[in-house]
Amino acid sequence: MNKIKKLYPPGDFGVWIIIYIELITFGLFFIGYAISRRADIELFNSSQLMLDQRFGFVNTLLLITSSFFVVKSVQIIKQTSIDINIQKASYYILGAISLGVCFLFIKIIEFSDKFEQGINLSTNTFFMFYFILTVFHFMHVLLGIIILYNLYKNTKNGLYSYDNCQGLETGASYWHMVDLLWIVLFPLIYIVR
Amino acid sequence: MDCFISTYLHSEIMMSKITKIWIVLLILTLFAYLFGEQEFVNKSLIILLLVTTFIKGQFVIDYFMNLSEVQLKYRIIPTLWLVTIIIIIGFIYYYPV
Repeated sequence: MNKIKKLYPPGDFGVWIIIYIELITFGLFFIGYAISRRADIELFNSSQLMLDQRFGFVNTLLLITSSFFVVKSVQIIKQTSIDINIQKASYYILGAISLGVCFLFIKIIEFSDKFEQGINLSTNTFFMFYFILTVFHFMHVLLGIIILYNLYKNTKNGLYSYDNCQGLETGASYWHMVDLLWIVLFPLIYIVR
Repeated sequence: MDCFISTYLHSEIMMSKITKIWIVLLILTLFAYLFGEQEFVNKSLIILLLVTTFIKGQFVIDYFMNLSEVQLKYRIIPTLWLVTIIIIIGFIYYYPV
């Protein structure tokens, strides 16, 4: 077993610059949310109870599983270049895309529900952060799905192999970042009160 | 050929490990959901929720992003990010204005 640490993270180095910048950007929003909550705990707690936690829960399961499918596809490609496994890897990416689309669909239902209740960005500070954070994250999921679709096409066309999967790892790293952000966002917005 | 076999064996081990990590992530998410279902959340349990959030995030960083196999300087950035965010959330939660 090779115990020597690799020199660089998986995928193109450029995507890691983007990942670190995205983490800092979202991190500042998370801190902004926490500081604002500190100033008006009652408002944040009562507003948070208006959210349906089931949406957040199901969406977390979807993103984690989607990320897991992407890991599986990368592992399969790294394992072998046999055609049947390449097909299997592309199905995993297709599964990841489907779960990502389900995530967006549930988020749209959740947003529609809030708009029907007359809740929007200007309702109060909690909902301002709720919409900014979740819509910003929504855009990242949307971009991630487009990236995954390209990975699916490339995988299906046999462009990746066990010694040439940098493109696949680049897209996968971005998708895992989207998952990581949601893992922090879920308890912060839906649970902690 | 040796390199290929080594990569293959390593991938096999990682595959089963990744599946276990995925299951742990799902269980911890279920825990967070059940925790949030309570109308009055016990303050002392919040720390447990934040710890489980850290574990989930670190699992994604180490095994999904695969940074556990990379030099520490690249792994430490998202880990520090995660720790900082969780400590700030915890601090602000326990010390309101």
